Amino acid sequence: MSDAEDRSDPFFIGWAAAPGRLRPFLAGVGLCLAVLFGGVGYIAAATQADPGSGSGGRRETAIGVLAYDPYPLLYVTESERYPAGHTLLLSGNAKFGVQDRASALDGRLVQVSGGPVSRGDIDMLRLRGGTNGLSLVEDAPEAPPVPQPVSLGRWRLTGEICDGQCVAGAMRPGTGLAHRACANLCLIGGVPPVFVSTAAVEGEEFFLLADADGGPVTDAVLDHVAILVEVEGEVERRGNLLVFRIDPGSLQVAP
Amino acid sequence: MSVKYVPVQWNPNKYVYDAVLLVCVVLYIFVFLELGTADASVTQPINGAIVRMRAFGSCAFLMLSVILAIGPLARLDRRFLPLLYNRRHFGVMTFAVALTHAVYVLGWYFAFSPTDPLVALLTANTAYGQVLGFPFEVFGIAALLVLAILAATSHDFWLSFLSPPVWKSLHLLIYPAYAAVVAHVGLGYLQDATNPAFALLFGGAAMAVGALHLAAWLCCPAEPTVADEWVAAGDAGDIPDGRAVIVRLSPSERAAVFRNGRTLSAVSNACAHQNGPLGEGRIVYGCITCPWHGFQYRPEDGCSPAPFTEKIPTYDLKLEGRTVLVRRTAHPPGTRVEPTPLPEDVA
Repeated sequence: MSDAEDRSDPFFIGWAAAPGRLRPFLAGVGLCLAVLFGGVGYIAAATQADPGSGSGGRRETAIGVLAYDPYPLLYVTESERYPAGHTLLLSGNAKFGVQDRASALDGRLVQVSGGPVSRGDIDMLRLRGGTNGLSLVEDAPEAPPVPQPVSLGRWRLTGEICDGQCVAGAMRPGTGLAHRACANLCLIGGVPPVFVSTAAVEGEEFFLLADADGGPVTDAVLDHVAILVEVEGEVERRGNLLVFRIDPGSLQVAP
Repeated sequence: MSVKYVPVQWNPNKYVYDAVLLVCVVLYIFVFLELGTADASVTQPINGAIVRMRAFGSCAFLMLSVILAIGPLARLDRRFLPLLYNRRHFGVMTFAVALTHAVYVLGWYFAFSPTDPLVALLTANTAYGQVLGFPFEVFGIAALLVLAILAATSHDFWLSFLSPPVWKSLHLLIYPAYAAVVAHVGLGYLQDATNPAFALLFGGAAMAVGALHLAAWLCCPAEPTVADEWVAAGDAGDIPDGRAVIVRLSPSERAAVFRNGRTLSAVSNACAHQNGPLGEGRIVYGCITCPWHGFQYRPEDGCSPAPFTEKIPTYDLKLEGRTVLVRRTAHPPGTRVEPTPLPEDVA
């Protein structure tokens, strides 16, 4: 028996063989660690929150009238997937909007093509690059008139400001604090912002966000993205889409 | 112990230690990705990149919690000392797992935008003035940087280059790093978790680390220091053969009085390697042996046996009856002090 092999109180030396009496204990510790790691890994994974119903789909094409403000929209006139009159939000791929391509096409009949994402009342098409994704319909008859905004009154709503692309299923989950920086990058890149309300207005919980003057929201909303906030503004209907024209000064963290 | 620097001084115990670690990490990642996520109640599948970043992030947190639990566990129960032996490999592996988490985060949440991912990491959220929505990523960055520094300086070369006290102080940064990780998770993912299970696991791990440190501190209170030149170390008969008693000489200095057969010798309680508690070690093959990494010193002069070159300070001893007294002033490391014979009436 070596000096390290004291039966009553075994002494471990790293460069020597572990004392015999210590080995069962160390084997038990190793086993417990394996059970701990396996168990915690399972529980942490199995209890992940539901990212919601947002989902994507195969590439779609649609024809319709483009509206530029507050964010590029398409009032569908012809499509296999969407009924005529349906309102589609438009964004680019990844964290890019399509304002640069859409600015010259306001009120014109266009063809769009890209990957659809949808959640609840929100339908968005993530357009392919260049004219493959957005192009003017040549030799088309005059574009039909777009639906006029219908005011639904002034509302104070509680909910979360998200980027429309991720919340609709481009990322799962596409909401919440862990996703906050990503949502900010999307909004900075021009992706349409969406307000997810805790209470429905006219049966709908998802609203395209706009500034009080009807234009795009300012960077003032960025500090309020991905947290539960209260905000006041006008709600109006454009086709099947509700637009929430918020007063940024009324934004506050929900109590 | 080594007379030259090599990347890793492998031995069978280190192979076993690292193998157990690898099994635990692989098991965690596999169970998280393949079993747990499949059983999660979701309407649509969670993105693979997000699942992977969660798997590696939570694994790194668990590893860090276990690392910090080892120290107090070993103090409360000496049978846990072998876990401390190769803890540096545990730390390096934790850094690798945490880095993998960070790479997934950068390549997903901060990619695909007009802004460079590293720039976006620091600029996408600047709401430093609010608690809810605070840019929790900065805590993760801080913790990862600390883990990187600790991993990079974990080798014995840096221990020797920086000196054990400086190295030890540097590596105590693991505590603020752990606090940063707690803040990173607490202000980030935890806010999104709807099931209380994760909060219980996360809070339980953090509280267990805190409770173990408190328990270790309570069970081993600091002994009072006396001002005399000679400090009593207790009855000579109370020192078992091959073991030591530890005596506090000043708030920052302790001596270990070892019994080696029928003689007594006093040396510094701090190992020259990592300041390990020599007084909790044993005399093995005639040498004082550190309980942390097995560094060895001769009791009579504090020198490591050839070819090793480590040295520790030694102290004068005297007996008043059966009471052992240690002189407060240390001799320079490696100074020979003639061992003190035990009193005749000590068995």
